[in-house]
Amino acid sequence: MKRIIALISLLILAAGLAAEGVQITGYVRNYTGVLLHGDYDFSIVQNTLNLNFELKSDKVAFKVNPYVYQYFDRDNVFDIREAYLDLYFNTMDVRIGKQQIIWGKADGVFITDIISPKDLTEFLLRDFDEIRMGVTAAKVDYYMGNSTMEFVWVPIFSPNKMAKEGSIWHPAMELPPNTTFDFSKKDVAFNLKNSEIFAKFSTLTGPVDFEVMAGYTWDADPTLFTEKEMDPLSHQLLSITVIPQYNRLTVFGGSFSTTIKGFVLRGEAAYYMGKYFQTTDPAVPSGVSEKNYLHYLIGLDYSIWGAKVSAQFIQKIIFDYDPMLTLPEHHNMMTLLISKQYLNNTLTVELFSYVGLTDEDALIRPKITYSFADGFDIQVGANIFTGSRGMFGRFHDNDMVYTKIRYSF
Amino acid sequence: MKKAIALTLMVIFIGTGSLLMGGEKLTGLEVMKKVYYRPSPKDMTAELVMTLINSNGDKRVRKIKQYIKDYGKVEKKIMFFIAPADVRNTSFMNWSYDDPNKDDDQWIYLPALKKIKRISSEDKSDYFMGSDFTYDDLGNRLPEEDNHKILREEKLNGEDCYVIESTPKDPDYMYSKTITWVVKGKWIGIKRKFYDEDGEFLKELTAEKYENIKGYWILAKVKMHNVQKDHTTIMELKNIKIDTGIPDRMFTERMMKRGVR
Repeated sequence: MKRIIALISLLILAAGLAAEGVQITGYVRNYTGVLLHGDYDFSIVQNTLNLNFELKSDKVAFKVNPYVYQYFDRDNVFDIREAYLDLYFNTMDVRIGKQQIIWGKADGVFITDIISPKDLTEFLLRDFDEIRMGVTAAKVDYYMGNSTMEFVWVPIFSPNKMAKEGSIWHPAMELPPNTTFDFSKKDVAFNLKNSEIFAKFSTLTGPVDFEVMAGYTWDADPTLFTEKEMDPLSHQLLSITVIPQYNRLTVFGGSFSTTIKGFVLRGEAAYYMGKYFQTTDPAVPSGVSEKNYLHYLIGLDYSIWGAKVSAQFIQKIIFDYDPMLTLPEHHNMMTLLISKQYLNNTLTVELFSYVGLTDEDALIRPKITYSFADGFDIQVGANIFTGSRGMFGRFHDNDMVYTKIRYSF
Repeated sequence: MKKAIALTLMVIFIGTGSLLMGGEKLTGLEVMKKVYYRPSPKDMTAELVMTLINSNGDKRVRKIKQYIKDYGKVEKKIMFFIAPADVRNTSFMNWSYDDPNKDDDQWIYLPALKKIKRISSEDKSDYFMGSDFTYDDLGNRLPEEDNHKILREEKLNGEDCYVIESTPKDPDYMYSKTITWVVKGKWIGIKRKFYDEDGEFLKELTAEKYENIKGYWILAKVKMHNVQKDHTTIMELKNIKIDTGIPDRMFTERMMKRGVR
């Protein structure tokens, strides 16, 4: 009832703000998906209202982006994705409030793009503006011609949001018997010492665009430390306590894009220090081992016969590798995108795919979007998971087809 | 050479009044050179309204605010999409170079991704935003790329015009020929017929409204009708401002992200 009242209040507020010159835009969408296995269960039936309230002037601006997800089989969601104020100075902009901050040149892969945490409650299937959550932050951009220096201070740590137990997107964990969880160390206290800070220098020129970044952050996923209780006589394992805990990461990275004979060549890399990886080494009682790793990408975009084609190769390399780690030393992946428009751009046919080269799995996402009228789109698509292990293969029972009907205003 | 999309709309929209000596006899190539090499303004700001009309009469409207500035060796252009709603706050920036060997640099800002992406130059035979204009139609084709012949001189809409037939030197070009009505003295094309690779009549461009602003002839409204698909695009420039001294900071990453009011 409280949410309904909040929604009605929001709509009344919208009418008032519109009268004050605040621009109101947004969309209404129905998203229905059906699983292709078993009894063809509905994987999702979601009705969405997304609103943007924006006011822009020469000196100041603000944006508030509330949204509602209405479901028939789970709790409705009513939240605010962004709510910030902008101050424009001669050579500097300041943004304060809840905001999405996106860095890097990669498509569909998160390498230097580590400020906004991810909402993975539907894995990677949501649109990217819905996957990235807003963070409460202060961001300062200082401009020098075609270059920008950006500083971000995030006083409140927000972790990635994972699917809850019972969801088809909740990754299955194989736990030994007598395993218990201790969540006492999971929270990161709200204090200045626990802030995250980031800096980025970016430039956009004719020959090349590039970014160089650094961050002192938190790993957005918790590390699962373990404590084992052994029988002193038989040395048999009696119980395991899993203690999820967030850890600090230091990250350095950069990205670039350039045009070479009609191709756009992109690259992005980040070196992460302080990451904990699961290990099966019995000599490591915590069950995790701290290692540094490199995550990088090379991508190529091209237009041919009116179609856009884009391919990316992505690799993770764990340094000072220990064969007892559960993850491989090198993890390789590719993405492929082919997109073409027909009928005076009213019909778009697209295929996007993640291909796991190490785990021999894939997520294949064909879709067709038809613009029925200006602002009114109908989309039909599928999400096909292949393989049996890895990031995508583990969801091989979740193949689905879906429709999205959306009206933007 | 000013490259294709860089001069999008400017080429077909802008001409200048230069003097033609009475009795001067020109060849087809000379007429087209006068169109190509006419002086152009240093900068231009305008709102572009593009209406797409299909064979059933259904209309789709795209609204764009655009800023163009000529820096001599490079011309910079930025477009802010206003409508339809699903592309609002998208922006597009293009830098085109005088150097014929240098491709345009292009970037797009997608508000949903909150990211500026460098994109590869469009194929010139692709259609601009679903309209009936290809990027080549909107660009600046060198007169030397075609053979030109004056078919006749005639009046069109009360204007004395040269009627020029242009056939491409490249046999693989998307049009087998075009016929252009060029207004004497103003050196702007006010009508052009396009014939496809098979020699069939494909589409017709007509100027519906043109005016002189600060000494430059501006085609404020043009219509392209594709007779084969019975699809029409009307492009109209509104609130045209010329040589206002657009600041350099307009053509930056900062403005792509911030957008216009």
